[in-house]
Amino acid sequence: MASAETGAAVEVETRIAASPETVFEFFTDPGKMIQWMGRSADLDPRPGGGFRCDINGRDVARGEYVELDPPRRVVFTWGWEAEDSLTAPASSTVEVLLEADGDGTRLRLVHRDLPSAEVAEKHRQGWQHYAERLATAAAGGDPGGDPWATPEGAGGEG
Amino acid sequence: MTTRLEERERLNRVAGALAEPRRREILSLVRDKEMSAGEIASRFDVSRPAVSQHLGVLREADLLGERREGARRIYRARPEGLAGLRDFLDGFWTERLERLRLAAELEQQRRDKRGKRRDGRGGRGGDSHRRKP
Repeated sequence: MASAETGAAVEVETRIAASPETVFEFFTDPGKMIQWMGRSADLDPRPGGGFRCDINGRDVARGEYVELDPPRRVVFTWGWEAEDSLTAPASSTVEVLLEADGDGTRLRLVHRDLPSAEVAEKHRQGWQHYAERLATAAAGGDPGGDPWATPEGAGGEG
Repeated sequence: MTTRLEERERLNRVAGALAEPRRREILSLVRDKEMSAGEIASRFDVSRPAVSQHLGVLREADLLGERREGARRIYRARPEGLAGLRDFLDGFWTERLERLRLAAELEQQRRDKRGKRRDGRGGRGGDSHRRKP
């Protein structure tokens, strides 16, 4: 469990049988990004450049690239465009670390600076919004199914 | 490690707990200070059992901590009061990264094939690759 004193964090790790160079591009190339996240992506991969990813035609993640150190590290800010979101655009930070591991890559993603309880309380409605998101996410079923591919169903998994 | 199913069930519990406005209000009440069940109940127009039920649901979802002081039960929002949000993002990124893994591995296989054709060198070991339909 990762959780810093200042704000909450989420940490996810995975191993990928592909080189860090290959994996890195999936965070900077829109065509590659939409293979794993979103329906469309508008990326300007340089420090200060915009990051916008339409997740499912309704939920749009937006932020800015902060640091790029190919193929080892990419940092970008993250939030949702929705007005009542708990995490406003660019309000939290995602750091991705890629480390060569044999002939593959060990990927560690840390999403930090998540909203504090105070912020949550200020955005009373945010709770509702968030609860709905949770419900949507929870409703997604089998591994193949992507709860975020709704409403129209991306169906691009092939 | 929790399984996918357990994680989903937990998400469901958190989502269910937060879906009710009164329960969100209760969480706000005990965000910074502890309150007994009676004190919490006195803030609402609903019956004490109804409040108890809300408290139970919040505890189930791990959003609320309880301790006993004599006969009283004292509540406080769990320090990781937004664990639900973390769970949510955890699930979100876990799903995303699984997709990323599949896509990147497929891409690597393509590249290795191209590389092999071009210069006859072997590609990287592909034994752990999961096939994608």
